[in-house]
Amino acid sequence: MLTTPKMNMMKELIAGSSREELIWLSGYLAGVVAQGPGAVSAPAAVAAPQSTAAEPSAAPLRITIAYGTETGNAKRLATDFAARAKKKGIQAKLVGLEQYRLGDLTKEEYLLTVISTQGDGEPPAAAKKFYDHIHQNGLRLDRLKYGVLALGDTAYPLFCKAGEDVDQQLQKIGGQRLLSLQKCDTDYESEASKWFDSVLQQLNHAPTLAAAPVVIAKPHTKKTYTGAILTNTNLNDHGSGKQTWHLEIEAEGVEYQPGDSLGIVPENPAVLVEAIIALTGADANQLLPHRSEEWPLAHLLRRRLNIVYLPERVVKKYAGIVQQDIPETKIGLLDLLKIYPVHDTRQFHAVVAILEPLAPRLYSISSSPEAHPGEIHLTVARDRFAVNGETKFGLCSDGLSQLTPGQTIEFYIHPNSQFRLPAPDTDIIMIGPGTGIAPFRSFIAERDSRGSQGKNWLFFGDRRFTTDFLYQTEIQDWAMTGVLTRVNTAFSRDQKEKVYVQHRMRQNATELFAWLQSGAHVFVCGAKQPMSVDVEDTLLSIIQKEGNKNAAQAQAYLDELKETGRYVKDVY
Amino acid sequence: MSTEVNNMIENKNLSDTERIKQASDGLRGTLAETLLDELTGAIGEDDKSLVKFHGMYQQDDRDRREERAAKKLERLWSFMIRLRIPGGLLTPEQYIALHHIAGENSTGTIKITTRQTIQLHGLLKHRVKPTISAFNAAGLDSISACGDVNRNVTCAAHPMQSAIHEQVHSYAARISRMLLPKTKAYYEIWLDQEKLTDKKEEEDPLYQDRYLPRKFKIGIGIPPNNEVDVLTNDLGLIAVINNDRLEGFNVAIGGGLGATHGNPDTYPRLATVIGFVPADDDRLFKTIYEIITIQRDYGNRSDRKLSRLKYTLDRLGADWYKQELTRRTGFELEPPRPYFFNERKDLYGWQQNHQGLWYYTPFIENGRILDDEKLALKTALFEIAQTGKANFRFTTNQGLILADIRKKDKNLVNGILEKFGILAHTETASAIRKNSIACVALPTCPLALAEGQRYLPTLIGHIEVLLAAHDLSNEEMIIRMTGCPNGCGRPYAAEIGFVGTAPGRYNLYLGGDHEGTRLNRLYKENLDEAAILRELGLLFWLYKKERITGERFGDFAFRQRWYKI
Repeated sequence: MLTTPKMNMMKELIAGSSREELIWLSGYLAGVVAQGPGAVSAPAAVAAPQSTAAEPSAAPLRITIAYGTETGNAKRLATDFAARAKKKGIQAKLVGLEQYRLGDLTKEEYLLTVISTQGDGEPPAAAKKFYDHIHQNGLRLDRLKYGVLALGDTAYPLFCKAGEDVDQQLQKIGGQRLLSLQKCDTDYESEASKWFDSVLQQLNHAPTLAAAPVVIAKPHTKKTYTGAILTNTNLNDHGSGKQTWHLEIEAEGVEYQPGDSLGIVPENPAVLVEAIIALTGADANQLLPHRSEEWPLAHLLRRRLNIVYLPERVVKKYAGIVQQDIPETKIGLLDLLKIYPVHDTRQFHAVVAILEPLAPRLYSISSSPEAHPGEIHLTVARDRFAVNGETKFGLCSDGLSQLTPGQTIEFYIHPNSQFRLPAPDTDIIMIGPGTGIAPFRSFIAERDSRGSQGKNWLFFGDRRFTTDFLYQTEIQDWAMTGVLTRVNTAFSRDQKEKVYVQHRMRQNATELFAWLQSGAHVFVCGAKQPMSVDVEDTLLSIIQKEGNKNAAQAQAYLDELKETGRYVKDVY
Repeated sequence: MSTEVNNMIENKNLSDTERIKQASDGLRGTLAETLLDELTGAIGEDDKSLVKFHGMYQQDDRDRREERAAKKLERLWSFMIRLRIPGGLLTPEQYIALHHIAGENSTGTIKITTRQTIQLHGLLKHRVKPTISAFNAAGLDSISACGDVNRNVTCAAHPMQSAIHEQVHSYAARISRMLLPKTKAYYEIWLDQEKLTDKKEEEDPLYQDRYLPRKFKIGIGIPPNNEVDVLTNDLGLIAVINNDRLEGFNVAIGGGLGATHGNPDTYPRLATVIGFVPADDDRLFKTIYEIITIQRDYGNRSDRKLSRLKYTLDRLGADWYKQELTRRTGFELEPPRPYFFNERKDLYGWQQNHQGLWYYTPFIENGRILDDEKLALKTALFEIAQTGKANFRFTTNQGLILADIRKKDKNLVNGILEKFGILAHTETASAIRKNSIACVALPTCPLALAEGQRYLPTLIGHIEVLLAAHDLSNEEMIIRMTGCPNGCGRPYAAEIGFVGTAPGRYNLYLGGDHEGTRLNRLYKENLDEAAILRELGLLFWLYKKERITGERFGDFAFRQRWYKI
């Protein structure tokens, strides 16, 4: 369609642009076209893209709708509001006050609160922390614009007291009312709905936020960051055989994309390092070479070298140094030193020289840069295994599970350019049992925040529904507001026969194949064995059966998906 | 017609539950679909109202809400299932089935209710169908155990009470059967039976598609022991027996104990005796049926707090209700016959009836059958059931009678009771402990404002000390506690009633009589444990000092006007 010079100009422009610039350009061109035929030739529009940058890509409004509920009524309303806001193109974040991170309050611009009142005028238990937080001394919320919808029962003397308190207190500490407090009795439906109509109207008239400046991604390097832990919660409930820790890490200015991983170099336990130094009588501060640098011995043992379980090849080298016959087995350095002692410090230094570096652990990031700005979330299974009948925990996951808010960790971003969300209107199928959910939480939150139009289908599985349904309430909210088009779950231990995600895939074979045919991308994350193998076999058999193909044709179909980046795995 | 227009309450603003019932397609709603929702352990919003008609409540562990929310897990939803056991009688085979079902699907505890049936707690959504199916195999169901229908029909439980107990008792099952809803939804949803093709089979002349405005309770009492609390029912039938012949029943209507804190339009009420109906089936059943249709047509359907028969009765008057009843039945009730209650208690220990059969009533605190570190009650009862020698009769005091034991089998049963320490446990429990009732309340009851069965045993322990200090340990005072004002544990019909207002706080009610024919009244509000014990200490001292010989504590409190005006 374009003439050759124009085509070349465009190719040149594309080649010289970053991804973000290209996204901006596509939006800009769409905006130019939308302005009508006259605008296309208007030189100003082409010549000065910077000045009109805000027009086509004007950032949508972001609002937070928070609910404090005892009976679920406030939640139901808030969910409904969020769905309505999204339909209007507003980025509405829906959150229960019990899960609301209080530190975020000062960052909020638009906060709409739906809160009920207990019989004694108290806020619901779920909203207690929030309620106390806004009543504490010194808190200022000068940029906040807010509205409160109070639910109550006129049968009680202190009707809607909690809502009243919140409304007044938010004003007292600097917030501006978007609209006045609405109190509702037990027949709240129509009043509540009208109230939200007014909210939408107010938001419409309010000046839209200035467009965010175009962010140019810095080149990715293994830059190391230090971030404080904001929260660390075991997502599994009492009675579960598993521990899966949800960490929120402060990461202001750290850039990453959904699908990326976080790299963490674990630390060896301090007691273990001390025991080794005490046993060998070595000087903890002695500088020793390691990868063209010199480090004190204690630092090397703590942060740089693998000492917990030495692989057989290292044990073999150790045997050579101490001149003894040692069975080739996985064993810790301390045990080796105890059973087959070194003669002197020099021999010990030789041992240190053969130790292998501590490998970093990679964890799929479970947050979205769009939905969780300034922070990174991880979903970490506390690794548990048996060694000679003793229960041991994985070094890194164990350390992460023990972190408490305020402590810091060092990390770097490990980009995963294969594992990327496709174009916003492309459908995706996500298969992520257990901690395999992590990147998909990121994907879904990202698509939710951006208002992407593509359909999203999640397969999740774990052991038991009541204790092991990771991110259950978030998944419910996404299903209710329509971000998740379909969700299927498989809980293997809730019935006599084991049920896994691949069984759910097979049960939905026709629909799944229809999604593939209409261009959906398939993502798999989680255990390589046996999950990803079983899932792939199942995919093949679905393609074969639903597509009336023989085995070779089905394989070719799947290979084609792989080659075109429509079937991607992140398995471990 | 004009009276009807005048008396019909303004029912334009129908409550939400009315809408749900009428749109439910015979109590089906979307239950079949929401049972399959993989994302939640709960059922649909409207289905929560409908599942009650199938004998279940959706509940959650309120103790766990905050922690689970932090874990991004939804509330720990589960279901309570309550059986329909008219008159509270199970065969040993049925009890064995119940024992296993409780162990496999619920928390394991078998809870005897104040309406002579049992309920199991903590069923997860996917365990509901297997539970109902197992009950069905044992000839048991949960139809209408909750919901706006006739609930479990209660009857004086102990066959000792009359030589014709069996004859009176049989009415419970017959009344229950007559008042079952016609919908087959229960069998379709829970037991996978085929869907009806002809919906005409479900036409329900009694409940229509709106059911009743609210729950409806029927109880049958056999004087002189009012252990069934007959006057607390919407419809109480008081057996009139002369020379071991059942002449008929005094009919009492308008009992009900629910009230709401801060709502003066609500109140507990004992039933009013409106007449006598002879024991001929036609007239008796017609009377029961039409009392219900009047409530169906005239009860308040806009405000559920004012929808029980007692409010309909007080709004329209007993005379009007009798006239309307006559208009519908075609005959008049006879004047009430004299009746007399002098007792209200379960008969603990061994008793023998007129036929020589033996009965043993063990003490079961708050009706909870479980094994704990002190007593293996659940195992003991299971072992007794396995002998096949005793029926299981539940009482409305959350009690159990091991019943109808032949003389030759008594030693076998007694041996098991002795082996597990049940005999000693029953003998040593104090009089007030045996006469007390507490509702479930926290953590599962969504209505609870304060503790019920988790706290009353402790409080009773403190009260025992007070009574002992005043040498009153043998007084059979009736003490009842509920965690909210809705009255499940019948606290307003106690001599000492505790009604929860907030965690750790209770309103104290005094002055109810021992026999259950006079309600108590509010004495003091919002007391914590220390205040309760301080008050009771003083009152017991006065009672000991100034009572007339033989005067019950409730009567003394009433005479002393220990209540707020």
